[in-house]
Amino acid sequence: MNLMLRIAAQDTASAGALKELYDLTSGRMFGLALRVTGNREWAEDALQEAYLNIWRIAGDYRAGLSPPMAWMGVIVRSRSLDFLRRRNSERADAGVELDDYLQDTIAGDADDPLDMADASQQATALRQCLSRLENKQREVVSLSYLRDLSHSELAEQLKLPLGTVKTWIRRGLTQLRECMERFAS
Amino acid sequence: MNLLGHPDLVDQLAAAHALGTLRGGARRRFESLSRENPGIRSRALLWQETFAAFTEIQPAMLPNPQVWQRIENLLPQARKPAVEPTSAVATGAAEMLQNLRRALSLWRGLAMGGALAAVVAAVVGIRLDQQLGQRGSELAQAKQEGAQLTAQMAAQARIEYVAVLQDDKQAGSVLVTFDPAKRALTLKRVGDYQMDADKSLELWALPPGQAPRSLGLMGQGAVARLTAAEGEVAPSPMLAITLEPKGGAPTGGGPTGPIVFKGALLKTEI
Repeated sequence: MNLMLRIAAQDTASAGALKELYDLTSGRMFGLALRVTGNREWAEDALQEAYLNIWRIAGDYRAGLSPPMAWMGVIVRSRSLDFLRRRNSERADAGVELDDYLQDTIAGDADDPLDMADASQQATALRQCLSRLENKQREVVSLSYLRDLSHSELAEQLKLPLGTVKTWIRRGLTQLRECMERFAS
Repeated sequence: MNLLGHPDLVDQLAAAHALGTLRGGARRRFESLSRENPGIRSRALLWQETFAAFTEIQPAMLPNPQVWQRIENLLPQARKPAVEPTSAVATGAAEMLQNLRRALSLWRGLAMGGALAAVVAAVVGIRLDQQLGQRGSELAQAKQEGAQLTAQMAAQARIEYVAVLQDDKQAGSVLVTFDPAKRALTLKRVGDYQMDADKSLELWALPPGQAPRSLGLMGQGAVARLTAAEGEVAPSPMLAITLEPKGGAPTGGGPTGPIVFKGALLKTEI
């Protein structure tokens, strides 16, 4: 993506390039920020900081090493986790039932084909393998990674028994490993 | 239990580690094993890369149009050389992803080179050599500064450089590792390259746009240990070994003999 180079150039066209990048990617990045923070306002703040961050460090991006969405995704998740940790005491969605998450994500998925051109091979494989998991397993595994949560933190946030969370994660990981194995070769 | 005999368990732990659900003592033990063992480390890296893709596959949602307005307003003052501490976290995370990819491309490169088993065995050998050599000084240090500090040091990320130099027939190779912190450059010969007793093998750094820089000679033995500063090694994307008269090429000049081994220098940060 030449956009990163144009942003990094720091000339008169750079702001236009950032706007182009924002138009192309902010939907997916906002979806990610929303999943991590569980709060629209924080997700928008995290998004704003993430793009300002990209504005500053676009010159560090190396196209040969990671696709742009993966690189940006790491930045957005990291900023979102900052917000989550800073404001954990006032979590708006603390204790939201798992079923509420599921409704959101399933509805969101249906009309949103992933643009594979900008996605990494890992994303394609992970997405396919995740789609073979049961909804609940997929959800706890995803949230565990995206929010950097332990078994007990997950159990607390999703109002589930600890044993259930452990079982779902273990089964989910086993199935993921078997599935990803087939992509690896 | 010896983890090495249980690849399935290694993979299971590597996946849980990358997901973040492996915590506490189990996490620390796994990380210490993966630092010591390249096979375990490569599994850990692969799963970290796999799960990093979670950030790419979340369903898209539309942010409020005001977000872009706010970004645009802040752009003029955003590009200052001093980066505020809060964004250092994100920058660090992004760097980590790229370093992860770098390390993985090294592993994949080795695997494609064909001689994976020999290479891994040799790299493990070099690491063991280094560890044995380090043990004495580490013990003294532990007495001086307490075991806690040693543990901290072991937990720190290690930066090293690795190169697999090959001849054009792919018959033999020389493995080079460089630890900039210790200024230790280690060469290990694999395969059966033969040379006359009146010749020496000389290692060169090939910095872009500059003359080759000699890093030292390799004797008749299978292993050679040289000393070099990071600035002498790191800027070169390639290393090469030439066949020179006994004692090496004349000081100050470039190489005089043919290139016997050459290969790319890769930085790994694990």
